[in-house]
Amino acid sequence: MDGSLGKGRTGRDLVGLLAVIVRTSQIHDPRNVAVYSAVEKFVSGVNAFMLEESAIEMEVVGEYFYLNGERVKFTTEHLLNFDFLQREFKRRRLGSVKFLCDVRPEDVQAFLGAFISSQFAAEPFEDLQEKTEKLKCIAVGAPRRIAEGPGKNGPSDGPEDIRKAVKHTYFNAVSFTMGVMNKIKAGERISMRKAKRVVERMVDALLESEELILGMTVIKNYDEYTFHHSVNVSILSVALGQRLGMAKKTLMELGMVALFHDIGKTVIPSEILNKPGAFDEEEWKLMVRHPLFGVKIIFNMKSFDFTSIRAAIASYEHHIHPDGSGYPAAKRLAELDLFSRIVAIADQYDAMTSSRVYARAPLPPDGALALMVKRSGPQLDPLLMKFFVNLAGVYPIGTLVMLDTRELGVVTGTNAAERLRPSVTVITDANGNRSAPMVVDLAEKNGAGGYLRSIARTVDHNKHGINLAQYFL
Amino acid sequence: MDQAEDIKPAQELVLVFQRARKNLRIYPVNNPVYSKTIEDAFTRIDDFLEEYGDLHLTFRQNEILAAGRVVYQSAGAEDNFAFLFFRDGVRELSFRRGLSLEEMRDFLQAISFDFERQPEDEDMVTMLWEKDFEHIKYSVDEKLLLEDETYEERAAARAVGQPAREEDLKRIYGEILKEEAAETLQAEIMPVTKADLLALQKDLERDCMDKLPRFVEILFDLFPGLSPSEYGEIADVINGTFEYCIKTGNLRLAVGILAMAEKKPPAGMEDGGLMTKELERVFEFACSPAVVGMLGDRLDAGETVEDDAFEQYVRRLDKRAVAPFITMLGELKTMEARRKVINALVFLGEKDFQALARGLSDDRWYVARNIIYIFRQIGDRQAIDFLAGAVHHRDERVRMEALKALGELDSQGMISVMTEALDDPEAAVRMTAVRALGRMKSASSKRAILERIGGKAFLDLDFNEKKQYFEALANWNDPGTEEFLLKALKSGSFFKKGRWDELRACAAYSLGLMGCGGAREQLEKLKDSKNRLLREYAYRAVKRIEHGR
Repeated sequence: MDGSLGKGRTGRDLVGLLAVIVRTSQIHDPRNVAVYSAVEKFVSGVNAFMLEESAIEMEVVGEYFYLNGERVKFTTEHLLNFDFLQREFKRRRLGSVKFLCDVRPEDVQAFLGAFISSQFAAEPFEDLQEKTEKLKCIAVGAPRRIAEGPGKNGPSDGPEDIRKAVKHTYFNAVSFTMGVMNKIKAGERISMRKAKRVVERMVDALLESEELILGMTVIKNYDEYTFHHSVNVSILSVALGQRLGMAKKTLMELGMVALFHDIGKTVIPSEILNKPGAFDEEEWKLMVRHPLFGVKIIFNMKSFDFTSIRAAIASYEHHIHPDGSGYPAAKRLAELDLFSRIVAIADQYDAMTSSRVYARAPLPPDGALALMVKRSGPQLDPLLMKFFVNLAGVYPIGTLVMLDTRELGVVTGTNAAERLRPSVTVITDANGNRSAPMVVDLAEKNGAGGYLRSIARTVDHNKHGINLAQYFL
Repeated sequence: MDQAEDIKPAQELVLVFQRARKNLRIYPVNNPVYSKTIEDAFTRIDDFLEEYGDLHLTFRQNEILAAGRVVYQSAGAEDNFAFLFFRDGVRELSFRRGLSLEEMRDFLQAISFDFERQPEDEDMVTMLWEKDFEHIKYSVDEKLLLEDETYEERAAARAVGQPAREEDLKRIYGEILKEEAAETLQAEIMPVTKADLLALQKDLERDCMDKLPRFVEILFDLFPGLSPSEYGEIADVINGTFEYCIKTGNLRLAVGILAMAEKKPPAGMEDGGLMTKELERVFEFACSPAVVGMLGDRLDAGETVEDDAFEQYVRRLDKRAVAPFITMLGELKTMEARRKVINALVFLGEKDFQALARGLSDDRWYVARNIIYIFRQIGDRQAIDFLAGAVHHRDERVRMEALKALGELDSQGMISVMTEALDDPEAAVRMTAVRALGRMKSASSKRAILERIGGKAFLDLDFNEKKQYFEALANWNDPGTEEFLLKALKSGSFFKKGRWDELRACAAYSLGLMGCGGAREQLEKLKDSKNRLLREYAYRAVKRIEHGR
């Protein structure tokens, strides 16, 4: 094997090859000649890797594949294969596939046979495990809980430590944003170096614990709305950018751009910004100028570079719609920048689900998402919306749900394979008594093959005054 | 192995990194030393990892440790390799087996970055983070990121608030149970198709394109939405953008900015005049010494500056740019760069001769000479008045250029100045003056030449100088000149016979240049002259006449 390829690229190839043989095996028998040549390629890929490693573990953690503990990087061209394979793993509640020694084509064919047939089993992972037990060189593993993190060389942090770290990252970002905005108001210079580091931590948190950091965006703060909103939009934008296959450095740029999208609001007097009622005409006229103010501020706060140019563009464009409507009034119908379109989606979603948006009643996450889908096209980029819906799921994190067991719960995790069956933190029992928060996986089945719990309907937590923050902190 | 020997390999590696950092900062990327440094460092660490396994380094303010032992120590902050990592929060760094050459290159480039130049924007952690290494891991002390150490606790407590009382929760639960399942909208999951991915890929490709043009559009679009008091601020941003374009060599966009700044304000716009006034500052800035100097830096550094973009850019400038361009002309080190600037001044100089002429008094001889060259290229007789002084410049190269210019510009009023130059101490200057007078082809310039030829000292001049006078005479090609030359062809004396033969050879040369058929017979005779020079020039003259030249 060409060592210079690096594990990342080899890993990407291996995941891609596994996706190809699984997909082909769904159509043809694994022993079919159509599958065989792909299997041979996969075998040679695995065995080449084995020249340098004593074993290979291909693992799904959260939304990512890891190869021997290293996250496998991918780009848009791999998106379809990665997404497909991830769903196939999750459908079977499969966490990892391990290659323990050099494999032969017949081993892989046997594995594929077991893999395909397991999808119809009541307990697919157990079925797959049983069927692959005889294989000397291939083994399967159950999924790790996200919070455990991928296998690492050395002691890994426990779930609580990770949750703490994510929480720390989130509040530090809010505190930083508050500091930035206050400094701008005071006419002081701000440290972009620090801003980059803050966003880097958010990107890391998203790559490592996506659901935990997305959960943080559920936290809404009336008094510090603009700061929380800026951070939330940054997180949601990076999450969407990640789904689009953007590289880490691009995600950081996107995170920075999103963090500063509303920087123009620092010019708006706080009594207008925090006005509980609707704006009068003059106030509204001022409010709609915040994108213009943003452009000016961005260039007064730092020297010219690629990120500041993008930040200024997004600041200006994030309220302009693809059809040219919105504000500021577009003089010509120019194609909106990709970052602006991403930020617009994240901005709308967070704004709609918050209680501090120009006196509008907040919507529950699922309702906001559905409304945004309706608006996609003229008001929001339809392709990006498609990715955003896939990211958020039918029941986005933070949705309050009534289960068919009459338990009340809040969605705290998504399920890429079965979008209608996310993870839910149950908060009351079937009689409405407060229960100790307990995370349940709605994809979990009983012995008879039926689901243990399903969502009966969603509930508007704002309407009932239920504060969900405690379930994410 | 004793303790010192034990840590030697790690110590050496740290030294390798240090040296590599120095080399990468000194040599440009395309220098062989640059790539060799990276390859050598890679070989050294690869050998280390092979023999000893992963390398873990711990950073303190003035020390680097490996396996708990000091492998690097520095006394102060000056050139402190440990502090380079420590100050940005790096506390541990590990190199793992499987490290590739590419990773080594990225790492060395990251640590060689000149953080002093951009202290506010970049730091070591960001550089390492962006590289997304697979075999290099680091841990960071994030304390420096903390804005307010107590904020998290306060904010989290505020976000959670007081948990709902048991009875309240129960009441809410009851209400929820009672409420009808509302007709809620629900987003539908649409699987991502190949066509979607294709569209996305195109979108991402488009996203790689330059963002500046869109940004510039936005800046100009902002004006109608601004209050007049804000025009100045946006004009400042436009100037900043303009500066960025020049620094990054995006001259096309710089031209675009100037074109947009030139446009009239939208019809009906209040205070349009004020907007125009503010945008005028963009032109002022474009013509300023600062911007022109930046452009010069790029030109001199050999960065690509497309000719047509440069020309379009210069065409947008006005006379204010003349002086900065002259300054730049004096500072440029490369021929190619000077050529571009000279061409620019040929265009700009026409707009302000006075400003251009001020360059003649520059201390550097080559600036003065280039200014005269520019005058020559412009070809406007207005320049004549500025050239008189240059004929007496201390440097002969400037004097020559001035004489050439005077000749080309047909400066009849300057004949006396040019005639004075016929006595210049430098032969090259004298000959240039003769050529210039010849080029003018006026009666007075001819008179000046003939007077010199008829002078006592003429015979003793060097042959080439004499020849130059006769070559100049050939410009007139009239019967009077022919007669004079035929007479000269026959001239001679027993004394200084060799000098007289030289003069006759010059006359032959001139008659040949004029293609004077009437002189052929006499020239034929001279082909057999005993004097080799006379023989040769007579022969060549006959040949020229035969060929009608």
